[in-house]
Amino acid sequence: MARTTLKRVHGYLAEFDSASDVYHASEQIRDAGFQRWDVHSPFPIHGLNEAMGLKRSILPWFVFFGGAAGITTAFCLAYITQVGIYPTVVQSKPANIFTTAAFFPIMFELTILFSAFTTVFGCFALMGLPRLNHPLFAAKTFKKFSDDGFFICIEARDPKFHQAETRALLEGLGGKNIELVEDEL
Amino acid sequence: MSAHPITLDDLPRDGERLDLTKVSKLNGLFLVIGGLGLVASLAYLLGFLGEQKQAEFAYSWLFAFFFFFTITCGGIFWTMLQHASNSGWSVVVRRLFENLGSNIGWMAVFVLPFVFIPSVQNALWEWIPIHHKAAEEAVKYNADHSGANWGTYEGLHHLAETDHSKHILTSKYGYLNLSFWYVRVVVYFAILGALAYFLRKWSIQQDKDGSFKHTFRSRAFCCILLFPFALAVTFSAVDWVMAMDYTWFSTMWGVYIFAGGAWGAMAVSILALTYVRSNGYLHKVTSGEHYHLMGKLLFAFTVFWAYIAFSQFFLIWYANITEETRFYILRNTGGWWYLSHVLVWLHFAVSFVLLLSAGRKKRTGVMNALCFWVLLMHVVDWYWLIIPERGPSLSEGKVLWLDGAWVGDVIALLTMGGLCGWAYLRRLSKASLYPCRDPRLLESVTATN
Repeated sequence: MARTTLKRVHGYLAEFDSASDVYHASEQIRDAGFQRWDVHSPFPIHGLNEAMGLKRSILPWFVFFGGAAGITTAFCLAYITQVGIYPTVVQSKPANIFTTAAFFPIMFELTILFSAFTTVFGCFALMGLPRLNHPLFAAKTFKKFSDDGFFICIEARDPKFHQAETRALLEGLGGKNIELVEDEL
Repeated sequence: MSAHPITLDDLPRDGERLDLTKVSKLNGLFLVIGGLGLVASLAYLLGFLGEQKQAEFAYSWLFAFFFFFTITCGGIFWTMLQHASNSGWSVVVRRLFENLGSNIGWMAVFVLPFVFIPSVQNALWEWIPIHHKAAEEAVKYNADHSGANWGTYEGLHHLAETDHSKHILTSKYGYLNLSFWYVRVVVYFAILGALAYFLRKWSIQQDKDGSFKHTFRSRAFCCILLFPFALAVTFSAVDWVMAMDYTWFSTMWGVYIFAGGAWGAMAVSILALTYVRSNGYLHKVTSGEHYHLMGKLLFAFTVFWAYIAFSQFFLIWYANITEETRFYILRNTGGWWYLSHVLVWLHFAVSFVLLLSAGRKKRTGVMNALCFWVLLMHVVDWYWLIIPERGPSLSEGKVLWLDGAWVGDVIALLTMGGLCGWAYLRRLSKASLYPCRDPRLLESVTATN
């Protein structure tokens, strides 16, 4: 496979010894005002969201509108076909707006279905998935993140990123095996 | 995060005891309201205010009784569920549920008017006077025919020959007969009382001896006895409320009652938690996390109740069978129609939307207000279940609403509320406010969502 020699700096990757170390380092990086950075750990760490200063995800709004679209679709589907186009008279029930009770199951189902779709696909979109590769996979130590390694990566696209100062910051926080990760273009 | 990870050494070794003098204001208020209400209620129940008032008040008493009875059963249910599912998070709040469930002893007192006052029975359950009449017919027949040995059942058959609508009572005789009815009242209270008594007793014993055998024993006990518990709650609801109209039936009934009761019990317990916290207790062991966890269950039961309520309505509405639809036709007539809509929009929709947010569930002030809302809606729900039967039953179908009878409803509700609240607070002070030597205590204290 042809390879170019052009490379772009992705960011610094630093390894930490424990969940508690990476937690406290996150608080410092949050307070230093970094925006484009992430923590990689083999398991979820309670309270890390707050330690990283992560804002509440916008995903619930996607789901809300997904659900609202679902309930509207189902109502229109049932109402237009069962009342408008071809009134279906069952058990001498009227075919009008008060028949809505009969539409509830489908309204319920489509609300769930559309919410679930927006959850899954919205989540993918927010995470930038699917993607074929990630620059961090090229880092030497990174594989440990799924076993016993705790990592912080500060990306170069962060406005506060500085080649020397950011490295010094990570060292000061107790980061080990600090590596400048590069992305092949 | 706390400054250092919390350990058992940070907690008081013998738990926290509620000092009754600290809560004497509220407790005194409960006792005064309950005591005065009891005098008024007895005047109604014993017929000092006339037969009509007595009959009207029978419904009030059933409404209030059933409201507190289902909340008590909810307290027993949550205690059992926490044992059966081996919940770690809930240990610090479990004693609140245990004490709530132990109100069942008071419920056994409040049920007595239904058992011992025939005119109360006759006003509430139409099938009972019919059975009495059938028994009289049988006696008359036996006197006229030598060698005849008629019982109530044959008497009912005889009545049904001229009035076919009574025939259903002969078909239901195996279940719906007075002797069995009395036996069932005793069985319900025996089951529920034993559950509440033993679970609380073992839990308090563990406070003293710290033995984990109590934990294992309670777990095994609850896994097996959830089944009879469910039967007791279901059939008590059938006997006391569904049987007000002996022609009507619904298979969702027991679940509906249970869903409402568990919902109300959770709201009461959150309020109780806030109340003891506001008096300076449980600050070391509970936090917003516990409110959040309890709030989630409250939310779950908001949805569960709506699911069951809609299913019951939907099946009956769709099938459109005469003997089933009566329940909803009555509750969609006149003023009751508005109350039905209150259940849809305020009981479900508003509670659902307000309880949806995770952040709101962690804020104790907001959760409190929501729990008062939940209890108010639970009152409306049970009012809607029981009171619509009163007008048509007592006026032989002429009126929907008896003017002035609502006074009795308020009195009955306040009486039982006062006495139950008073008994509950007193019981809280009898032992530590949380199971202080439960093996899962630390897990519960540090629980996060």
